[in-house]
Amino acid sequence: MDRETLQQAHTAALTAAAHLRLPFRSHTWKGQTGEFAGSGTGSSLDFQDHRAYSPGDDPRHINWQAYARTGSYSMKLFREEVRPVIDLIIDTSESMFFLPAKAIRTAELVYFITESCAAAGASLTTHATRGNAALLLDPDTLRNHTWLDTARHLPAPDPAAAPDLSKVPVRANAIRVFISDLLFPGNPEPILRHLGQRHGTIILLAPFLHSEARPDWSGNFEFIDAERRSRHPHRIDPATLRRYLAAYTAHFTHWKNISRRHHSAFARIPAEQDLSTALHKEAVPTRALEPC
Amino acid sequence: MLSLANPLGLLALLGIPAVLAIHFLQRKARELPVSTLFLLEQTRREAAGGQRFERLIPSIPLWMQLLAVILLTWILAEPRFQKANSVQRVAIVLDSSASMSVFSQDAAAKLETLLPSLNSGASTLELTLLESIPQRPRLYTGTSADDLLASLEDWHPASGPVDPTSALRLARSLVSRDGTVIFLTDTPNPELPFEARQLSIGRKIDNVGFTGVSFAREQGALVWRALVKNHGDQPATRTWQIQTATGSGTPRTIDLKPGAIATLQAAFPTDATNVRIALSPDDFPLDDTLPLVAPAPKPLTLFSATSPAFTALADKLLRALDAAEPTNDAATADLAIATYNPLNPVQPTGNAIIFVEDETRSGAWLKGGLVSEPHPLTDGLNWQSLLARETIQLERLATDTVLLWQDQRPLIFLRQTESARQLYFNFDPTLSNALKQPAFIVLLHRFAESIRSAKIAPVSLNLETGQPIELTTPAGVPLTTTATDPIGNPLPHTDLTHRTAIDTPGFMTVATETESLLTAAVHFGDPREADFSACAPAPLDDTAQTAAIDRHTRPDPYWRLWIFLLLATLLTAWKFSIPKSTPTPQPR
Repeated sequence: MDRETLQQAHTAALTAAAHLRLPFRSHTWKGQTGEFAGSGTGSSLDFQDHRAYSPGDDPRHINWQAYARTGSYSMKLFREEVRPVIDLIIDTSESMFFLPAKAIRTAELVYFITESCAAAGASLTTHATRGNAALLLDPDTLRNHTWLDTARHLPAPDPAAAPDLSKVPVRANAIRVFISDLLFPGNPEPILRHLGQRHGTIILLAPFLHSEARPDWSGNFEFIDAERRSRHPHRIDPATLRRYLAAYTAHFTHWKNISRRHHSAFARIPAEQDLSTALHKEAVPTRALEPC
Repeated sequence: MLSLANPLGLLALLGIPAVLAIHFLQRKARELPVSTLFLLEQTRREAAGGQRFERLIPSIPLWMQLLAVILLTWILAEPRFQKANSVQRVAIVLDSSASMSVFSQDAAAKLETLLPSLNSGASTLELTLLESIPQRPRLYTGTSADDLLASLEDWHPASGPVDPTSALRLARSLVSRDGTVIFLTDTPNPELPFEARQLSIGRKIDNVGFTGVSFAREQGALVWRALVKNHGDQPATRTWQIQTATGSGTPRTIDLKPGAIATLQAAFPTDATNVRIALSPDDFPLDDTLPLVAPAPKPLTLFSATSPAFTALADKLLRALDAAEPTNDAATADLAIATYNPLNPVQPTGNAIIFVEDETRSGAWLKGGLVSEPHPLTDGLNWQSLLARETIQLERLATDTVLLWQDQRPLIFLRQTESARQLYFNFDPTLSNALKQPAFIVLLHRFAESIRSAKIAPVSLNLETGQPIELTTPAGVPLTTTATDPIGNPLPHTDLTHRTAIDTPGFMTVATETESLLTAAVHFGDPREADFSACAPAPLDDTAQTAAIDRHTRPDPYWRLWIFLLLATLLTAWKFSIPKSTPTPQPR
């Protein structure tokens, strides 16, 4: 993908981010001061509770009207306003980019999350994984559209292996957005367990192609593995195609079930539709995103 | 047992590699990058076979197409099933002419490949192998092809051109109307009788060989003259030399144009045995060697007891006959020449030629038609210009055989007794024009030669292979026959039963315990067999094979079922080849 294509994806993401965002409101935040209500007391305008004055309390929050009525000091407690924390993890394996439509959709999702975080003033850290390798991306690479080149040059001993998220540090109480097509073998349980640790909230955004979900293969093929570039001769007859479709469906059903067990929001985003429409249809119903 | 009426139908099996090639080429034709290969790998079946064929297993169209090819092959090949107790009789007539000796190995090889296909689907194959000379014993009769091939070891073709009609008639009678008669030869014959099928294995060969020999005496020395012919259509160069039991002469070179004949001559070596003239060898060795003996006919002694008027005739006859010697002993003479005088009517008792002598010389010319009786002595002789006068007549016995009549008068008659043979001329030759008649001279020669032939005496001859031998032997005396090849090695199985010379060049002797009766050199001298220009291969005509197969087999009773299955497999393959639309899978 060239820079111009990435800019176009960025534009599409900006459009989508104008009326959709990550589920910041449905999350109780802790952490640095920001725009969203935290779980503790703070200095926002939202009244939360009263309690008796204790020495050392900020005298600005003494409820003088109550003192006038009762003669005892009581404190007004206000809701805390904190800054959301987002950990974005991008699967940059070759399968995410081997067809232009899927590559653009992946870039759009990355930019959407970035813009959504920027609009909410959230703290965003971005990690790229490629096989069993991982890399922390500089925020500047997202702004100058060089993140993809950086991520795709990440050396990976086994590019077809499942992502090793144990190398990705996650922050407490963060929303962990994992953008991946999930097209790798292995058990999703370790991945989701890692993403859910330290009170994390998991959002899985899985771009996909209809050509993967509903291929029209028939006859003999020389399949080229997108990850390893190795060739694999296969003869596809109707029975084989049926078995493939069953395996494909079972794979994502398994991911969905495991995600549900981890209270994760799981959305498969088709690459053939425009981004806003796809997100509205697939991500909002699963509460992976919310309207602004 | 299964046989195929149309073996060419098996070519349809080429459809199998064609179908496989199409499928494999299809596989190579489409390359596609995929991201879900690990899901596809889960759909693969476990197979012990190679990866390439593993993918053929689940392909229903492929198997249906292969099955269709096999069914089509089965239908096109027209399989036929053998009837029980069916017998195919085959008689093979081998051309016994000498030229086939060059191709005897080819004949064995050809029959080895041909015999398995001759049963025409019958359960039993009865084979008969015989030569084109009907007098020869059959080489083989039985059911084993191997034994038939082994019997070819006893086949030694060496005769001249043979008309195979008699042998083919015999062969046809052996195999009946439904059997197969094959004539194995080297020269294609456009038409063979008795529905015989021809198999020619010949080919052109550039052959140079001896075609004949003659002897003459020049300056007291015996000289042989041999004719050498180049039978080929290319110029040839050969060397020749005289070989004897004690050594060889200097080789000499001879150049022959296509079809040219050259004469070789030299003095016959005296006091030498196993004399032969040898040409440098070629593919046809029979005529490359010319064995020779100094010819020596049986001596014939003549006793003349004639009047002075017949002395000139007797002397002329003595000079004209080969190896004839005069003798004064009438008792030991082989042949006497005498005149009949009524005043002295004493006749010779032995072999004799007796003329009437009429001293009156006053008789009228005899009138009436001249009629010659059929007899070997008068065969082919013309007596119509004979003019004879009326003379005294000889006394004729009832047992005498008249050779020539003029009206009611016997002019010449033959008297045959147990010990003698006498030729009577019942007219005076000196009073006729008989002395100027060729028939008269020839008759005298024939009679003298018949006397010589009947004489028991040693003779040396140069014979051709297989030539009949006229040999007079003493009755009741056992004979010993020996034969050798030109070098002197003994030949086995020498048999003089048929009174013919040996079949291959060499030397032969016939002797009693006390004396040798025949010493002969035998050479091959048949230029027709030495000429290979007409030889050519011709395959076996197999038009009758189809009828024989139909007779011994029955067609496949399920052919309609196979056609139905063929259509079903084609439809099935077509059905599974149509790409079907599949629904979009959605995770539950």
